[in-house]
Amino acid sequence: MKIKQFIQRLFGSKQRKPSSGGTSANPSEKMQKMMAMLSATREEELTCDEVFALLDQFTELAAQGEDVAKLMPLVQHHLDMCDDCREEYKVLKSILYGAA
Amino acid sequence: MDKRTNEEWVADLRAGGDRQTGALEDLRAIILRGLPYAIAGRLDPNSPQSEALTEEVVQETLMRVLEYLDTFEGRSQFTTWAHKIAVRAALTELRRVRWREVPLPEMDVDDDMDASYREAPDEQASPEEQVAQAEMMKRVNRIIMEELTDKQRQALTAIMEGFPLEEAAGRLGTNRNALYKMLHDARLRLKKRLEKEGLTPQEVLSVFEQAGR
Ligand SMILES: [Zn+2]
Repeated sequence: MKIKQFIQRLFGSKQRKPSSGGTSANPSEKMQKMMAMLSATREEELTCDEVFALLDQFTELAAQGEDVAKLMPLVQHHLDMCDDCREEYKVLKSILYGAA
Repeated sequence: MDKRTNEEWVADLRAGGDRQTGALEDLRAIILRGLPYAIAGRLDPNSPQSEALTEEVVQETLMRVLEYLDTFEGRSQFTTWAHKIAVRAALTELRRVRWREVPLPEMDVDDDMDASYREAPDEQASPEEQVAQAEMMKRVNRIIMEELTDKQRQALTAIMEGFPLEEAAGRLGTNRNALYKMLHDARLRLKKRLEKEGLTPQEVLSVFEQAGR
């Protein structure tokens, strides 16, 4: 197990990055990102599939101006944690707004 | 044409024959109106790739709608449910295109393995703060090495570098849902271990946030 290699990879500043976008390689920023993730971690979290099953309902409620964070807090929490699901939520919401 | 009730959508799509064909045509038009929102900002909407992707996603969505029709519980408008399926299919494909050339981060490294410590963790931090930051990084990394499996570390590294879950999952031979569970388990383990060592994420953060003030 090569601990230094992992440190270099996780917090070092020489990562390969995609040509555009991607995250900052500043080690202290990565540490901040990770700690923010840990801080928000809960014992019980919904998975991507569970959120997908509820996403149409959640998005409609959000588009109607309902307080979805209060009504469906576990879905909201997953969207805060999961970039993929959040991205899909935003697109779906823009479709509903566009269709209104 | 999208004036059907949820019940009418389901009944028409189940009907077969002209009734089903008509419903599929109407649904196709509805999905086509939604897809530009998925493509916007991710692909040139006028490109041939965009046209091909749209056609592929529409086909896939209609097939899935029919396949999963029984799972529609009427908790939303039927069209919202169909859009949801289309958005997932479109973004999955767009992510694949966007990331296919990007290798999953590996734990390879040059010989100068301590470089990350000599580089200032935060250029605005005082020397004392930099030492504290380096020590905290070592401590957190030791915890990561001791608590997580190779696969969990690999997944965590990829996510930290901005890899979509879906793409990282494919490379790691799993699926997005399982990868989320694996990362959730990893986060929980790290959080509990920090607690065991008398550290909260906020305390770790404070070592880094003091810098630059
Ligand atoms: Zn998710």
